[in-house]
Amino acid sequence: MILIGERINGMFKDIREAIQNKDPEPVRYWAKRQYEMCASYLDVNTGPTVEAADQPAVMEWLVKTAQEAAPLPCCIDSTNPDAIEAGLKVHKGKAMINSTTADQFKMDIYIPMAAKYNAAIIGLAMNEKGVPKSASDRIALAMEIVVNCDMHGVPMEDLYIDPLMLPCNVAQEHGVEVLETLRQIKTLADPAPRTTMGLSNSSQRCTNRHLINRTFLIMSMACGLDSAIADVDDEELLDAVAAANILLNKDIYCDSFLKTFRSK
Amino acid sequence: MAVTIAKEKWTSKVGEMVLGADSTVKVGGESALPFLHFEGEIPNKPVLALEVWDLEPVDWPEILKKPFADVLADPVAWAKKNVEYGADLVALRLMSAHPDYKNATPEECAATAKAVADAVDVPLIVIGCGVEEKDADLFEKVGEALNGKNCLIGCATEKNYKTITAAAMVNGHSVIASSPLDINLAKQLNILMTEMNLPANRIAIDPLVGALGYGIEYAYSIMERARMGALMGDKMLAMPVICFVGQEAWKAKEAKSPDDENPEWGAQERRAILWEVITATTFAQAGGSIFVLRHPETVKQVKVQLDKMMESNAY
Amino acid sequence: MGLTGLEIFKQLPKTNCKDCGQPTCLAFAMQLASGKASLDQCPHVSDAAKEALDSASAPPVALVKVGKGAKEVALGNETVLFRHDKRFEHPTGIAISVSDTDSDIPAKVAEINKLVFDRVGQIHSVNLVAVANASGDAAKFAEAAKAVQDNTEFPLVLISEDPAAMEKALEVAGDNNPLICGANASNLEAMVELAKKYDAPVVIKGADLNELADLVQKAGYKKLFLDSGAREVNKVLADQTQIRRQALKKFRPFGYPTITFADNPDPIQAVVDAGVYIAKYAGIVVLNTADPADVLPLITLRLNIYTDPQKPIAVESKLYEVGNPGPNAPVFVTTNFSLTYFCVQGDIEAGRIDAYILPVDTDGISVLTGWAAGKFTPEKITEMVNETGIADKVSHKKLIIPGGVAVLSGKLQELSGWEVLVGPRESAGIPSFIKQRWNA
Repeated sequence: MILIGERINGMFKDIREAIQNKDPEPVRYWAKRQYEMCASYLDVNTGPTVEAADQPAVMEWLVKTAQEAAPLPCCIDSTNPDAIEAGLKVHKGKAMINSTTADQFKMDIYIPMAAKYNAAIIGLAMNEKGVPKSASDRIALAMEIVVNCDMHGVPMEDLYIDPLMLPCNVAQEHGVEVLETLRQIKTLADPAPRTTMGLSNSSQRCTNRHLINRTFLIMSMACGLDSAIADVDDEELLDAVAAANILLNKDIYCDSFLKTFRSK
Repeated sequence: MAVTIAKEKWTSKVGEMVLGADSTVKVGGESALPFLHFEGEIPNKPVLALEVWDLEPVDWPEILKKPFADVLADPVAWAKKNVEYGADLVALRLMSAHPDYKNATPEECAATAKAVADAVDVPLIVIGCGVEEKDADLFEKVGEALNGKNCLIGCATEKNYKTITAAAMVNGHSVIASSPLDINLAKQLNILMTEMNLPANRIAIDPLVGALGYGIEYAYSIMERARMGALMGDKMLAMPVICFVGQEAWKAKEAKSPDDENPEWGAQERRAILWEVITATTFAQAGGSIFVLRHPETVKQVKVQLDKMMESNAY
Repeated sequence: MGLTGLEIFKQLPKTNCKDCGQPTCLAFAMQLASGKASLDQCPHVSDAAKEALDSASAPPVALVKVGKGAKEVALGNETVLFRHDKRFEHPTGIAISVSDTDSDIPAKVAEINKLVFDRVGQIHSVNLVAVANASGDAAKFAEAAKAVQDNTEFPLVLISEDPAAMEKALEVAGDNNPLICGANASNLEAMVELAKKYDAPVVIKGADLNELADLVQKAGYKKLFLDSGAREVNKVLADQTQIRRQALKKFRPFGYPTITFADNPDPIQAVVDAGVYIAKYAGIVVLNTADPADVLPLITLRLNIYTDPQKPIAVESKLYEVGNPGPNAPVFVTTNFSLTYFCVQGDIEAGRIDAYILPVDTDGISVLTGWAAGKFTPEKITEMVNETGIADKVSHKKLIIPGGVAVLSGKLQELSGWEVLVGPRESAGIPSFIKQRWNA
């Protein structure tokens, strides 16, 4: 399971203030903390309060600051292509672009960008009409992204399809469709594209958020989920992933499996 | 038509173990599957040890005794002979400590081990008598007597690893961790030993291999899985693997049966040596790094094979 | 094996003409991938695309047969790189070579015919005889092929790169589906023509992997064995690995079984090289030795490597003797899981004990698993004791059972009427157990 730490995001108050004050400390703290908590990528997002014109510079600063503090690649998260490219330019190692939708005009921007910078890319199973409800409609959109990536030479192991989970308090019927989508994505190509998910989305404004996140993550792993953008500062979540890795025969069992998972 | 060579992108490698007072022998360190030079580094050739017993072996067939005829009762002379025969290491088996044999004391064994270590300039592997409690007592003394010689000692098991690991840490040795054909137990034992602060690169995994025809495939697959785990970043399976090939191969009926017993099997000497050689070279293909052998001709033949395997096959 | 949406889509015209009833070619590809549509619903798909789709749905390694009748050898259909991923399917065919310059071919073939070994109730043997055209003479080659064919039931591998010689040999041996070995860059067309004529498999040899892929594509024939041309063991290992990997990735030119040659001039190293080829994916390995001391280890290795890891292997459930057991010899009861049996047998031998072993038929599962599954029970042990007539062979009435199932002893004693001794938990403890506890 590739965990992408969600915490360096301007939606969180401490990061928003850090951006405003050009204070690297909170960014550094979360880069290190999430590294210690098994993250493989750091999601970096300027948040909605930064003006579009300033977003490239802020993104550049976030990527640099995060990578100085922890030896991890970034998942460069923005709806602004200039901000993403600014992040890619200063990034060390293999970055991940977060994200394109299945709209042709977006794919035409982001997928060549992924190819140019040899970056991985997240493809959302949605388009300008919104998030489809059924698994088959999600799969059809995923397929559009698969074909476009293939055309531009982005290998399938660099494509992460996000079937888009919606909060379960308002869109409860989406859960089973997302799980079915995860199963079917693996049949789209050989080698198959990878999958990811914005996990905290599933529990927006719900009670017992950690429990919902954790449960849905494990259910999704059983359906083939490869990666998740998640709150890695959640010990119970990590322990559940460690157990699921054993049950899915991804890690070799030993009595100290929780500990070995953490020390990876 | 140009074929695109398929290379795996491994993210990690096998740990490197260094043995000997002058660090003369290195094993492990591979960042590829065995001998696939085209996709990673294979910095060290697998090494070969010949066994020495501290008492005259009772159940060895004549063919196996012949090359050591005049030294079987003298471990120091035997060890020197092994070096002459081209062994990279000497594997001293302290069988005399076994209650069924001489029940020798730890002090007696320590003296033998010291004498052997002083007589040869290759690193030593020291193996106990196989009785777990006795081996624990044994290595407290033997480990101390060999202080600074940077030996590989064992075999540590679930029951006696604490004492043996402690003895190794105090005296600067590495440890063989044995678990019965079970990758999960092997991993757990490695964790328990590293939790005592023994560095991971001072552990060798002993999966208790079987010989050709006697379960070789179980250890073969365990070793393949462990190597894949190591290359994918599982640090607790990333230790070099030691294979006690000699003791197993020479137990096989096919190695022990004389010419006249099964004439349809061919001559015993050639058959027996091939039994030991192919057991070793097959494990080398699965990721074995240290081979403990018994017949000098096996050492010679396995060496020829490994030399060839160490030549690049990069495209 | 189903095709993925992407594989299918790449072969469609991508015109989105809607003639198939779907809004786009992509949607049609998805329908095809999920089996909800068939390719003939698209009127515009090209023949080349059809063939590409057909071949893409074929198994990764084609199944190719050599010989006819009872000794026919089938190779290929492999699906994994590592036996622990599933299993290796078709055990490497072992071929022993004779040369058309050999003075007494029937005698040599008789030696090969004798390479049959019994291993705990199962028969294992070599599989093919290879005839090499060392003389360079067509008539001699045909004569040798005939001499071999007349003296063995094993299928033939005909080794000559001269199409004229091959033609002669096929006139005598062509009806029995021999392996034609074979075609290379200079004789490809002629050799493949001969193969087609006799509907027989043919080896394609390239100077390297690139040329091999070229020649396979040019051959236009599907009954193939691959030879990458490498002869040094380190390079053969690399090529064998590449061919298997590429085949599993559906690189079609490499989707056939391979042939390897253990022709190292050092006769011991040739055997060791052959062992590497057996472990590493060879379809056929050709040996120049018929010495049983060389062949027995290789046949045993093949048996081990090709054992299905998901299916425990069993030894025949019958009374076994270790050494020369007399009336006072101990009787060990265990299960017929091969590893369990071999451990017990090995440790009894190591302790130089003359003994009897009774491996109860547990469908090849181990002592504790067998006990837990109700397959290693006092009833079954009693039945085996009675059926084997062990009571007539020994003068005592004592059974030794594995320490792990001490719990069986009461019931077993009652049912069988034999005294039950609880042995050690691990077979390694048998020698000292006998030393301390056995007096019949």
